Amino acid sequence: MAMVNLTINGQKVSAPPGSTVLQAAQLANIDIPTLCDHPALAPLGACRMCLVEIKGQRNLQPACTFPTTEGMDVQTESPRVVVARKFVLDLLFAERNHYCMYCEMTGDCELQALGYRYGLDHWVYPTYTKRFPVDATRLYFLMDHNRCILCRRCVRACSELVANHTLGVRQRGAESMIQADMNVPFGESTCISCGTCLQVCPTGALVDRRSAFMGRDIETEHTKSTCSHCSIGCGVEMVTRSGNVLRLEGDWDAPVNAGVLCQAGRFDPLYDERERVTKPLVRKKGELKETDWDTALQAVAKGMKGTKAQKLGVLASTYATNEALYLLRKLFSQELKVSNLGLLNKVAPVISDQGSLADIAESDIILVVGTNPVNDQPVASFFVKRAVDKGARLIVVDGKDNGLVPFAYMNLEMKEINRAVELAERAEHPMVLYGAGITKNAATALKKLGEKASFVALELGVNTRAAAALGLNNGFDASAAQALYILVGEQDLDGAPVLQKVGKDAFVVVQASFKSPLTERADVILPMAIWSERAGSLTNTEGRVQKANKAVEPKGEAKADWEILSLLAAKMGKKLGASLDDLSALAAEAIRPA
Amino acid sequence: MFEKVLTRNFGLPRSESIGVYIANGGYQALPKALHECDPEQLIEMVTASGLRGRGGAGFPAGRKWGFMPKGSDIEKYVCVNTDEGEPGTFKDRELVEKDPHQIIEGVIIASYAVGAHRAFVYIRGEFFLGVKRWIKAIDGAYAKGFLGKNILGSGFSLDLSVHRGAGAYICGEETALIESLEGKRGEPRKKPPYPASVGLWGKPTLVHNVETLANIPHIINRGAEWYSSIGTPKSTGPKIFCISGHVRNRGIFELPLGVPLREIIYEHAGGMTFDKKLKAVIPGGASTPMLTPDQVDTPMAFETLEEAGTMLGTGAIVVMNEDTCMVDVARRLMRFFAHESCGRCTPCRTGTQRMLNILERLEAGQGKAEDIETLERTARKIQGLTFCPMGDAAINPVLSGLKLFRDEYEYHVTHKRCPV
Repeated sequence: MAMVNLTINGQKVSAPPGSTVLQAAQLANIDIPTLCDHPALAPLGACRMCLVEIKGQRNLQPACTFPTTEGMDVQTESPRVVVARKFVLDLLFAERNHYCMYCEMTGDCELQALGYRYGLDHWVYPTYTKRFPVDATRLYFLMDHNRCILCRRCVRACSELVANHTLGVRQRGAESMIQADMNVPFGESTCISCGTCLQVCPTGALVDRRSAFMGRDIETEHTKSTCSHCSIGCGVEMVTRSGNVLRLEGDWDAPVNAGVLCQAGRFDPLYDERERVTKPLVRKKGELKETDWDTALQAVAKGMKGTKAQKLGVLASTYATNEALYLLRKLFSQELKVSNLGLLNKVAPVISDQGSLADIAESDIILVVGTNPVNDQPVASFFVKRAVDKGARLIVVDGKDNGLVPFAYMNLEMKEINRAVELAERAEHPMVLYGAGITKNAATALKKLGEKASFVALELGVNTRAAAALGLNNGFDASAAQALYILVGEQDLDGAPVLQKVGKDAFVVVQASFKSPLTERADVILPMAIWSERAGSLTNTEGRVQKANKAVEPKGEAKADWEILSLLAAKMGKKLGASLDDLSALAAEAIRPA
Repeated sequence: MFEKVLTRNFGLPRSESIGVYIANGGYQALPKALHECDPEQLIEMVTASGLRGRGGAGFPAGRKWGFMPKGSDIEKYVCVNTDEGEPGTFKDRELVEKDPHQIIEGVIIASYAVGAHRAFVYIRGEFFLGVKRWIKAIDGAYAKGFLGKNILGSGFSLDLSVHRGAGAYICGEETALIESLEGKRGEPRKKPPYPASVGLWGKPTLVHNVETLANIPHIINRGAEWYSSIGTPKSTGPKIFCISGHVRNRGIFELPLGVPLREIIYEHAGGMTFDKKLKAVIPGGASTPMLTPDQVDTPMAFETLEEAGTMLGTGAIVVMNEDTCMVDVARRLMRFFAHESCGRCTPCRTGTQRMLNILERLEAGQGKAEDIETLERTARKIQGLTFCPMGDAAINPVLSGLKLFRDEYEYHVTHKRCPV
């Protein structure tokens, strides 16, 4: 492809055809200040911060929208440009309340940084002329209209990235205000609290409640990781300070979600109020007593060794890491020859292996079968809604209460699956998203689509794909187990179906992060670290193996899920790999489809 | 005496009806255009006539038609801009209310020339009678077979419908009109791409003012040569001038372009009320710079007004006598622009508001000497910085007021009151 050659500040730059002046400048590491522009959003050209002088153009032109042409001569910091930018800043700073020292975002604010850059030392226009409301009706973050500069990043994020179309602008001119729906409080609107707007806001207009006033960005550490909520496997950045996770942000470079997160991934993990298990516990004379790791593991090893393989049972959560699931299989299934293994979550049957989440954007017809991504895998529902905005037809084969029904072209019952398949057969790029709610007949019917369609299973647990690939799902029977090892992990579970069947005398070991009815019944409890406290790898529903990293130290004596199993194996005299890297490689090898 | 072209039927009873229009030579250009001309010839004819857009910018209509991509496989649209909102302008409303068929004939010919089969009327929500007349006229045209499938057996089909706007000045700007027509918030789009390549629903779109389209049948009927003989070489054809303010006969006057301003004010509009002295004239609507009494002999044409430092705009002449406070004039106009700013770009959204604040302060006798400087600096800085041309329009009343009547601004500061 022929490149476009232009000159920016006297420097020769070549850019791919179709790129804007701003993109060309970024390629050459020339900094042009922006406010309304955001790399993840469509350029708007509204704030007029990125104005540049282009030879032959009468007026200054916004770099974010102006297309490059061959031989263009651009000046990004000429005196005329600087005067214009200062003027825009003068207007913006005086428009609403931008009194930085009282703002939560001071130090991290893009508007403030530009104020410093262009030497704004006084107000040209009278400020604080009008008071604007603060909307605190949302649980996780609030909107302070006084700090808003109407750049509309939030509006665009809401429609372009999340396809939720909650945010908009009401009134016009100086009366313009960001609003939700038809001007209702944010908390009562169609907002789904995904927080994408919060992440793109350049000023302190959108403020996270939990991390507000907890420190400037420079005082925090950012650790990239993978979200542990569902099988999509979104990239997250954990923002920590002094051993506490302040907030979670979407990782813009992540291959799956490209910066977008949902409420369950961004906020809910930080608002978890369940009580942690922080020390190993062993039941003595009917009562759980705190003990040390050695004693606890010794008790487990003794209990397991004293039971025949046929009488041993293993139950695992699909929220555990690749390494833990691999060790679980290795230790119990291969070394101890246990055959009574099972998973705590329902797993969708594998229809086909071909397909990735990225195919959703390219598809012209989308079948959602037996899954409700709006509740369970919200980021996948964003992808679907985006595709619907682009003109794809959505067919929901599920109950009428499925969250995607309002966006659907057709809502069918599971027994009408053949109608959906017929329509999909006529399309060019059909996409099938299915979950554990799919029936056997429906799965068979969908197989007819064959190679033409992309199939992606939407599972509940983050690591369901790995668990299924490791064969941990072969018809578990709790009543047959005399000794039972349950890897509950972080899962929120009352465990009643299991507990009802477990024999009174059975020896139950629970590896868990939180207290639950299962830990009440346990004979040994092994305290496990949670998502922010452990490293490891996770396999998303596409089979993509991604790293999860540790941002803070585990609470109390808790240990990572794989570390506990590794110690237990050693206690039982089995050497099953030592370092995390070795384990990750072994696990990845075991998970990879043959 | 100039022979009226566009307003010739205005005096007739029931001039809006299709019967009266046909009885007075209406719908004669249509068969001529459809049966005798091919689209290329029509574009050539309109180009030769020298017709320039009457919506304010004065862009040559023939060139605009020529920009539309050729080929019958491309879906194209035509939009009729009836979103007349410039303060002082009331010509489009009269045209729609008194002779809508003239415009419809123009729309059909224009659509045929550019190859569009769907046209939309975008009308200002407040034009209640205009909406009724549009709908009735369109119904009439359908009944006679001028609209719909296979018009007059030519094989050309066109559908026309009316869309009411929600009353925003900015929707008179063609890209904002298109956004609004699509059901979105009325805000201008970035250019390029221009509507001729990417317009309504992403398809090539021709947007024309009502008055521009009303000229088309006459050009077809009487030829480009006849048309270009009216007016000046660079501004051809008849123009409807709207005159308001301190004159005896306020209203619309159809005159050839290039008529001296003096003739309009003192002959057609009957001179100044109470024979007061003329102080200033806004020649083309609120967004055009003012003229002083010594410029009153300027011919009203695109090029001559441009030489005089202003614009023909929509031809809305606002006449002000010696009793007019120029600060108040600027304040009133700025209130309009601040109110009508769409709020998208910073300089227009907050800049107009700042200028309005200063003007209000000055008018209230609370102004300070530096206020005038701030006002001028703000206006000059807004120039060329805004997303659409509205920002440049909004500063004109202030800049031309300061240029011509700076002493009056200073008087407001020193004496805390109006000099008049």
